Parts: sequence; C-alpha cells; structure tokens
Amino acid sequence: MDGYGNLIAGRLRKLAVAGSTGTLPFAGHCDGAIHFHDGQVVYAESTRTPGTRVDAADGAPLPGGPPLAALPPFTRLAAILAITEPTVDAALELMSAESRYARFRPARVPIADPACGIPVDRLLAEVTRRQRLLRQLSTVVTADTAVARNPELNSPGVQVSARQWAVLIRVRPGTTPRALAWELRRSVFSTTAEVYRLLVLRLLSAAGQPARAAGTGLVSAEPGFAGLEAAGNGNAGNGPAGGHGPALISFIRAVPTEPGAPRRPARLGSGARRQGPLALPPAG
Amino acid sequence: MTVPVADTLLVPVARIDGCALACLIDASTGMVVAAMQREGSINLPAAAGGAADIANVVGLLSGELATGDGLEDVILTFNHHFHVIRPVRPDMDAQILLLVILDRMRTNLAMARRAIRDFCTSLSA
Repeated sequence: MDGYGNLIAGRLRKLAVAGSTGTLPFAGHCDGAIHFHDGQVVYAESTRTPGTRVDAADGAPLPGGPPLAALPPFTRLAAILAITEPTVDAALELMSAESRYARFRPARVPIADPACGIPVDRLLAEVTRRQRLLRQLSTVVTADTAVARNPELNSPGVQVSARQWAVLIRVRPGTTPRALAWELRRSVFSTTAEVYRLLVLRLLSAAGQPARAAGTGLVSAEPGFAGLEAAGNGNAGNGPAGGHGPALISFIRAVPTEPGAPRRPARLGSGARRQGPLALPPAG
Repeated sequence: MTVPVADTLLVPVARIDGCALACLIDASTGMVVAAMQREGSINLPAAAGGAADIANVVGLLSGELATGDGLEDVILTFNHHFHVIRPVRPDMDAQILLLVILDRMRTNLAMARRAIRDFCTSLSA
C-alpha cells in the first residue's frame, strides 16, 4: 500500500480495536464511505464502483431483508458474496485512489446485516492481494484501459464462462472494464480480471495493443491468476447477463489450424456439433 | 479473506475423515469466501489461488475439446495430501469452487469424494 493506503489502514485498525459502529466517510479523488459495526466492516461504497447489484440483493443482508441465518445455505452464500464483493471492491478503490478520510460518524444502526461483518485485518489482506494483482495486470490492462473486440478468432476452439460472455457481448470500441462493470453491476476488480482473461484469449484487444499470441507475456505468477493464458472456466451460459443457458459455449473455427492455412470467419457452436454464424452483436 | 458467518457452511465438510482444509473460493476473483483449516501448515491463499487456476485451465481444456462436457471435479494427488476441487453449482453467475485438502493417511478418497459431492448438492438445494 502507498502512503494514503497506509494512513487509511491505520485508521481502520484503530476503529476495529475500538469496536466502533458508524461510518467513515471519504472524499478526494474518490468519494465513498466504509461502514462499521462493532469494529467489523459491514459495507463499503465508492463513487467509482457499482456497489451491490439490485437483483442480487433479493437475499442480501441489507436492512429490511431477511436475516442471513434464515436463508438456505446457497442463498446465504450468494447473499454474503453480494455484500462482500462490492465492499472489497469499494475499499480497494478508496485505498488506491488517494482519497482522504473524514471524521468518523458514530451510529447505532448499521447499514447492512452485522452478521456479514468482515474483520478489518482480513479486508486489508484482500485489498493488498488485489492491489498486487492489479499492479501485475497494469502492464496489459487497467480498469480504465479502452478495449475492443477482435473480429477474428485465432484459435480452433475457445470456451468462455458466463461472466466472460456477458462482458464480451457488451464490448464496444473504447469501452473500459470500469464502464463494463457499471453496466453489468459487477465489481470493477472482477470485471478487469475477466477482461484480462479475454485479452489473453485474444477475443479482445487493449487500445494500442494488438492481440498477442497466448502465452507470450500475458501471464502473471500470482496464485489465482497464474496460467491465465488458459483462463476459460468450466461452465458457461449464453444469456446476455451471464445467464444460465447451455452448459457450454465454444468458439469453433471452421477449418483446422495448419500453418499457412487460409483463415475463415469464426463460427460459434454450442457444443461440438452445431455450427452457425458468430452470434456476437455488432461492435459499436 | 473469509467471512466468519460463511465459515459455518463448511462444517459438514470439515467432518470428513482426514480433512485438513476446506474452503469456498470465488473463481472469478480468487477470493476465499469461507474456510475451515485444521492443519496450520497449509498456505490457504496459495492453495485457493492454485485451485482457481486449475479449474480455469481445465475449463479451457474442456472448451477446446468441445465435447459438450463440463468440469465435475479435479483431484490432485500429492505425496501426503489429496486436493479435491469442485464447482459448487455450475449455473451460478459467480462461480464458487469448493477446495478440500485431505490427509492421505486418514482418508478414504472414494468416500470423501462422495461426501463432497453430497455437500455440494445439499448446499445448492
């Protein structure tokens, strides 16, 4: 963490030790707030990150919603993620964007279910991990790098996850991962990571960077991102917002990839058998 | 980063004979959502990050094979441990992986794999 980040981390630790409940507002390059309950972070928000998805908040432990303990296990897990991911995302932005914290405002009622509280040390460790990852990715893409879709596929078959597909079909020339995150109501960090994976798969290009072959420098050694030149994931849907469609989406080239073989337009198939025109919406 | 309230979800997995570590990982970000650890010597972030990488790489393999198959689980065999990686529910927007590290000396792998599968089924029911 830089100087600002260390200052903020120190303040958060003090609030944790004091068992504070209330809000720590931020202003500067990035406005926002971190909300505490009994010394744990229950929520964070920033003007540069989308925050909680409205539709994901069905079971989310927000005020007025059902308590976490009353939810079925998987809904509980989804609800926890619906709060923790935007919280970590906002904290990452606040601690990376030279924001300054203002006076702590004590409160009685927390903004989110206290059961979803994150210990400050765990939050700081996750923020530090993400900052390290973003530094590694920054040579290729940042949250504010313009990206564009590649019109051709260079590999015989590529599988993308539902999340990657949702990103892919929304990319227009000049779109940034941050803009995509707002459009999808997902965290900026995870969207940047998905864009990076799509860059490595050569389905996207960053502005000023022609697509490079997989495994030629777009690899990070950080666990969780190592080997990202092969970064599809096992289950994909084809819904426009990461839906729950068929279990597999494959991009299949019409011809084998012998050296020197002429290229043909890419084709999309659901599984190995069906083939048809590439079903991406037009860019731009 | 784990959320204490989520850790309790892993109690049934922690009961498997020889379970040294169990955790739920957001495959997209590599963030550990919940964890239960019995052997302190295992580096949780490294194990979780590696599991997310493996699931992603195997997913690409199945995509390139284009047989319409999806990943059910991955079992890694080390000298002293098994690592079992399994997507909790494939159709969820945020893909969650379950990683279970088992002590080879104290585990029946077939029984453990069955228990892990049943846990994932019950979790998503």
